[in-house]
Amino acid sequence: MTSSGSEAVALLGEAARLVTPMALAHEQTMPVLPVFEELLPGGAIRRGSVVEVQGIGATSLALSLAAGPSAAGSWTAIVGMPSVGLMAAGEAGVALNRVLMVSPPTPGSWAAVVAALIGSVDTIMVSGGQRAGSGDLRRISARLRERGSVLIRVGGSAAIGADVELRVTSCEWEGLGDGHGVLRHRHVKVEAGGRGASARPRSTEMLLPGPSGAAADPGPAPVVALPTAHRG
Amino acid sequence: MGHKLDEPVAVMAANRVVAASPAARTLGVIRGQLRRAAQGACPDLVVVQRDQAVEARCFEPVVASLDDLTPGIEVVRPGTCAFAMKGPARYFGGDTAVVDGVMHRMVEAVAGRTEVRIGVADGLFAAGLAARIANPVRLVEAGSVADFLAPMSVSVLERPDLVDVLVRLGVTTLGSFAALPPTSVIARFGSVGVEAHRLALGLDPRPPDSRPLPPDWTVATEIDPPANRVDQVAFRARGLAHQLHERLSHKGVSCVRVAIEAETEHGETLMRLWRHEGVLSAAAVADRVRWQLDGWLNGPAVARPSGGISRLALVPDEVVPAAGRQLGFWGGETEADERAARVAARLQGQLGIDSVMVPELRGGRDADQQVVLVSAATVELRGRSIDPSHREHAPWPGGLPCPSPARVHARPLAVELLDDSGSMVSVSGRGQVSARPVRLVSSGRSVGVSSWAGPWPVEERWWDPESHRRAARVQVLTADGQAHLVALEGGRWWITSTWD
Repeated sequence: MTSSGSEAVALLGEAARLVTPMALAHEQTMPVLPVFEELLPGGAIRRGSVVEVQGIGATSLALSLAAGPSAAGSWTAIVGMPSVGLMAAGEAGVALNRVLMVSPPTPGSWAAVVAALIGSVDTIMVSGGQRAGSGDLRRISARLRERGSVLIRVGGSAAIGADVELRVTSCEWEGLGDGHGVLRHRHVKVEAGGRGASARPRSTEMLLPGPSGAAADPGPAPVVALPTAHRG
Repeated sequence: MGHKLDEPVAVMAANRVVAASPAARTLGVIRGQLRRAAQGACPDLVVVQRDQAVEARCFEPVVASLDDLTPGIEVVRPGTCAFAMKGPARYFGGDTAVVDGVMHRMVEAVAGRTEVRIGVADGLFAAGLAARIANPVRLVEAGSVADFLAPMSVSVLERPDLVDVLVRLGVTTLGSFAALPPTSVIARFGSVGVEAHRLALGLDPRPPDSRPLPPDWTVATEIDPPANRVDQVAFRARGLAHQLHERLSHKGVSCVRVAIEAETEHGETLMRLWRHEGVLSAAAVADRVRWQLDGWLNGPAVARPSGGISRLALVPDEVVPAAGRQLGFWGGETEADERAARVAARLQGQLGIDSVMVPELRGGRDADQQVVLVSAATVELRGRSIDPSHREHAPWPGGLPCPSPARVHARPLAVELLDDSGSMVSVSGRGQVSARPVRLVSSGRSVGVSSWAGPWPVEERWWDPESHRRAARVQVLTADGQAHLVALEGGRWWITSTWD
């Protein structure tokens, strides 16, 4: 009797362990493309963070970063950046059927627009050149942390204390010659820094964009990519 | 609201027609139509934006005028109310007597501001249709409701997706739809089809369920001190609606008819039933409570309660099993789509219709032609998919291979592309550059060209002098590491896009 009783208690304990809801760490993060895993602590973007991308190729970097969450079903909002090449976004891996291009009517209203998007759209891309008061910025970052969206600032000067900073430090195009060839891919070195878990500097090399338009691993040997047969 | 009855007027909400005056209806304006389609059908249509609070406030005295005929009048929506005829018909001695009484009171209450139509039939659906075609009264004899419905178009079912399929299958009238065997209808159209089929047969959409509802499903709140402003009570009502919704969803049911009860500090009780064609969500219940309170508290002075409201209760009066909504697992509609669609609609409301755009793929040679932006209001964002076929299957000679430029300048930047001797590089009619480009000068800043390729000439729409475009494009990589697509067009070089 005693033994079967203790067995039952052990079984119940086991059952309770199995059904206990756990807040898994990966639920608080968003997936990224494999080439970014080395750059980011935990190999993912933490929800609620502000990511700054800088340097030549910042737009491609931002699009490739947004591609990971987008492929996992998130929406991407691009605010006040009408010149972003959506074809390139699609090639980078951003699902174009889940993209909103938002154009704030006045330069001052972008903060209100971003605040409205936070929580409804997982990835929000804004131009780093946007100006806003420090109060607006504090509110935005507080709202980001509360609602779990990620803000990606492209270029410009540092304004909101970014959690993660990515910078393209060197880039080299391949494929274009002196009067012949065509741009095929760009070999870049990206350095990451930031606050908290991202404070330790990291760096990686990648093809941005790669031969298919998506960010790719540079690989051991130089990648020879042939242009596709036809395209429109 | 200040418009004559014979004027074509349509009330719009979210860019769709929610109500149309008789004159507009005869011209082909129907409920659910897009604004543009409605204006196409009737060019001199007067468009009024909907304000349901005003509708409800105006309608409350009209409903109240019928309260001495029969209890249990339910408001289907502001402007339409319904009640069961059985009791009053026996009391007053026949349908005609009741209809006369109703007509008399309604005409008095409405006082010529709009027309009154009454329909009597077995079931709410048929009665609604009878009222719509009534002039001003239409009595459908008991038992003949199926014959009454048979010649009507299936579009009166107001289930656009279903109706679309039915019409394409050649089932255009309710009679022919009703003639289909129910087993085939459920096999082909599921539960939505069965509901519609029951309506077409002249039955209630669901088999009646006469079990009384447990009293503990009622939610109520005491208001102390008693409130006599709508916003004070509406605030409490919102919480109450959520409480009701939560309680019902725990039981696996949703509410289609709710009684809103209020008690004043002087002991008066006010009660009104509200019905919804679909299912009442928490927000929908909260709205209805607010409208109803607006009707009671801001109505005509004679009907106004003498004191503040001290107690508010919501009684679920008729419930159906909650079907819920299955969200997509692999693709299809997801919660993320729902949230994005909502925020898009909200921003468009605040900033204007063109402030939120979504991309669509088109064919083209350059990055700016391959994607076009369309207003988010014109596409369904939930479960959206983009057809890549334009890009995959159509060859565009002269198009550049992957990768596409990450920046496409809406306004091309004027630049100078210079050769060794400092003169502009030109392109001959045979597609040859005059000399090797060496420097790129943009807004006074000069930078060396480290490599380049091209030119790729394009000549588009040569048949149309208006949109004819002739250009030669060159990819250049400058010494500072920027890659641009520059185009010679109209005797000048422009940076059209940048591989940022």
